[in-house]
Amino acid sequence: MNFAEHLKRSAVLGLAISILITLALSTWMFRAEESDLRLQHRQRLAVMHANALALAVANTNVEETGKRVSDIQKLDPRIESVIIVGGMQLVASTRAEDAAPRQLGREEKALFDLSDQIRTARETNRGEDVVRKKTVQIEEKTIGHIVVTVPYLSDGQFAGILQMKFNTTGPDVSGADIFSPAPDSYTLPALLFLAALLAGSLFRMSTERKVDFTKLLALGVFLLIALFFQQQRLERLERTVTQANQAIAANYLAAAQQYDRLGYLALPRDNSSVNLWDTDHYQRPLGLIAADGSVSAKTQAAYFDKRSGFLKRILGAIDLLGAAVLLMFLYGYVARTFAALKEHADAYTYVAPAMIGMLVLVFFPFAYGITLSFTDTTLFNEFLPFQDRLIGWANFKAILGDVNLYERTAGGIIWNYQNFYWTLLVTVAWTISNVTIGVTVGFLLAMALNTEGLRGKAIYRVLLILPWAIPNYITALVWRGMFHPQFGVINQVLQMFGMQPVAWFDGVFSSFFTGVATNGWLSFPFMMVVILGALQSIPKDMYEAAEVEGADRWQRLRYITLPLLRPTLIPAIVLSVVWTFNMFNIIFLVSGGEPGGANEILITKAYKIAFENYQYAYAAAYSTVIFMILLVYGIFQTRITKATESF
Amino acid sequence: MADIKTRNHVWLHVVLISFTVLAIYPVLWVLALSFSGQQSVGLIDLPKDPSFLERFRGILPVPAHWSVKNFTEVWTEQDFGRWMWNSLVVSLMTTALGVFLACIAAYAFSRFRFPGRNVGMLMFLISQMFPGTLMLIPLFIIIVKWMGLGNTYVGLVIVYATTAIPFCVWMLKGYFDTIPYDIEESAIIDGASRLTIFLRIILPLAKPAIAITALFSFMTAWNEFILASIFMESEANYTAPVGLRFFVGGFTSQWGYFAAGSVIVSLPVVALFLQLQKYLISGLTAGSVK
Repeated sequence: MNFAEHLKRSAVLGLAISILITLALSTWMFRAEESDLRLQHRQRLAVMHANALALAVANTNVEETGKRVSDIQKLDPRIESVIIVGGMQLVASTRAEDAAPRQLGREEKALFDLSDQIRTARETNRGEDVVRKKTVQIEEKTIGHIVVTVPYLSDGQFAGILQMKFNTTGPDVSGADIFSPAPDSYTLPALLFLAALLAGSLFRMSTERKVDFTKLLALGVFLLIALFFQQQRLERLERTVTQANQAIAANYLAAAQQYDRLGYLALPRDNSSVNLWDTDHYQRPLGLIAADGSVSAKTQAAYFDKRSGFLKRILGAIDLLGAAVLLMFLYGYVARTFAALKEHADAYTYVAPAMIGMLVLVFFPFAYGITLSFTDTTLFNEFLPFQDRLIGWANFKAILGDVNLYERTAGGIIWNYQNFYWTLLVTVAWTISNVTIGVTVGFLLAMALNTEGLRGKAIYRVLLILPWAIPNYITALVWRGMFHPQFGVINQVLQMFGMQPVAWFDGVFSSFFTGVATNGWLSFPFMMVVILGALQSIPKDMYEAAEVEGADRWQRLRYITLPLLRPTLIPAIVLSVVWTFNMFNIIFLVSGGEPGGANEILITKAYKIAFENYQYAYAAAYSTVIFMILLVYGIFQTRITKATESF
Repeated sequence: MADIKTRNHVWLHVVLISFTVLAIYPVLWVLALSFSGQQSVGLIDLPKDPSFLERFRGILPVPAHWSVKNFTEVWTEQDFGRWMWNSLVVSLMTTALGVFLACIAAYAFSRFRFPGRNVGMLMFLISQMFPGTLMLIPLFIIIVKWMGLGNTYVGLVIVYATTAIPFCVWMLKGYFDTIPYDIEESAIIDGASRLTIFLRIILPLAKPAIAITALFSFMTAWNEFILASIFMESEANYTAPVGLRFFVGGFTSQWGYFAAGSVIVSLPVVALFLQLQKYLISGLTAGSVK
């Protein structure tokens, strides 16, 4: 019995592979979840200590603040350093060389900016009465070394920030190493599998019959093993979560007792008051540990349920996938695919390298980018666990839902250049004007060059094609130089005829014009060459016949040239619309979107959001919207082309 | 009759000459700047209240003093030689890899009928619509953070080659389709293997198309600056485009170096392009019609 035949007759291989896939994927998910948990655990610990210290110095004067900060830092070796910044002042610092209190230096402006950012976040959250912006900043550039920044309050008012460097690589106060990886146990699944093999007498079956005993048995065994394994790991995970929470509680208690002893913060004796130390990134109490350090089993179970909900859904999807794989084996799809693979082995070998490359470096990044667009990832919070960054459709709502395109003021209408619809408008105007110029100029020149008996055709052709041949980033930079407001050639020409020089990049329209001029210059040769090629393929006798019939020039153009150009012209226009829509280099290098981002097109705007504002996720969402627009255009355009082809 | 024709041609020549002047002026301007031996963006220093003629002299693309200083200095005093070398290595490697992968894939798409063929071709087409900015951050994470290929040639090469693949595959497949199948059939009857046929018969016949594909891959790598500026952090690893932008973007404006560098970078591409442009057009339009 050969292998393909074997695949058709026996369910063993299918069962083994589907179980393997399911267990491997589940294990991977659990590992990811555990490492997420580990990350969350140590960051929670750091946030807790920062919150505690911020509470302890909230209502004291500057000297007392400095003293308390250094006292606490000396008591806990994990706190590497603490600074407090209020406005332009460095209020306190545990580093002697900082010589606090003093004014912030120029190189410390980042701290001032961070303080400002957190203040804005607090005000936004308060103003809108919803939590939208994080008031706790976490940075973890090297694993275990966490920098937490929390608001620093004075008399209940925002006064600045407290930044703590917290080292979680050393031993915990609780002394427990909760996250030591336990080995995965696969003995049980393996035994079950073997037992099933014996019971099912090697799973003989027929792929043609819809339902038979073997299929049901195989499916049952698969589900049993998968669910059992996942349940086991879930229980283990719950134990880990419980232990982690207890470790946090132990840490809390130890620290709270210290604060109590020093008289900085009183430790509440009952469990009714809220624990303000242990919070999320919006400084909302997590409610897992009571103020007296006790842990309630009920809240903990609820917390685990909430936390594992996402994981359980993924596990369900993995089970479905495994079952689908198994069914594909059972109903012979795999056997058929295998036969096809074998039959077309040559073809697949030839295509495989290119396909793998595309999958890894084009389609995977694409999927990654789409995923990114549902988070709030920026340069500053990449370190956070994935689940904490997930925000659903918020980015898309922010982009598409923001319709404040302009403001009406006494002085007239003020356009909001940062608005998506403004940028879309500019992009459409940009595309239409460029394609129009390209087609018109290209058509004119092609008609001119197609004249019979014209001398010097070859020279004109080569010289006119030159703009296309030069790398477009060079063209862009050259035109930027020619538009130079002071020494640029274009202003020289204007002045030559007694006109005033123009500050090209300062006005919305003049800046738009620089882009169009540059792009027009580099894009007409393409159209010219395409149209010229098409013109030359129109048979001469058609014109002669028309002339004999008495058609004038206009009629010949209207009834012969244009209809015959259409099959060439339409694809060329379609292509150049997409090119122009995504023409990054010209806008980016000539005007840079000046003034004030008014001339940004979608693609350059997305780039700037990502690499100047470092809002990675927002930029990804922006790019996804661009993709959707192009996709709709693509579908629409195929329809139109098909419709016009039937003429 | 002949009289009217000549007069028409005069007008045509006027139109054509004015457009030609427009088309080549920026080119001449860069050339003039590169031979001017100075760094400012203006070709000559204008007097305080310039007359019409002096202004006219200012826009004529002829340098005030001829000098090759910019060319020599860009090699000796700037890192431009190194950047050119980086660009050359990256572009050649990209061409080799891209053309190889595209050739074999296009051959399979053209000659074999296998399950997944149409889906594969469609995937290549759709991938052309992915906006570059969406891919930048994930690519940075994959290449630099996961693979650790930042600041290396390989990182750039594999990204450039895969970017160029879809166009190259479509283009080559279109060309392979036009090669009659009979030639292969007789070779098969003579006992030749698929590989022999591919290497001995198809590839030599497809030379023009392969030349275009190679040019396209080369230009993709030679002219790209965004990925390069993100992947190559240290100045020694810049490619030529990143370096050229470095001359005039941001804080410095060394227009003379930029002009000289641009001339050096553009010359090979322009020469190649003018040689091969007529094939490029047939490929572009043929690919898009389907």
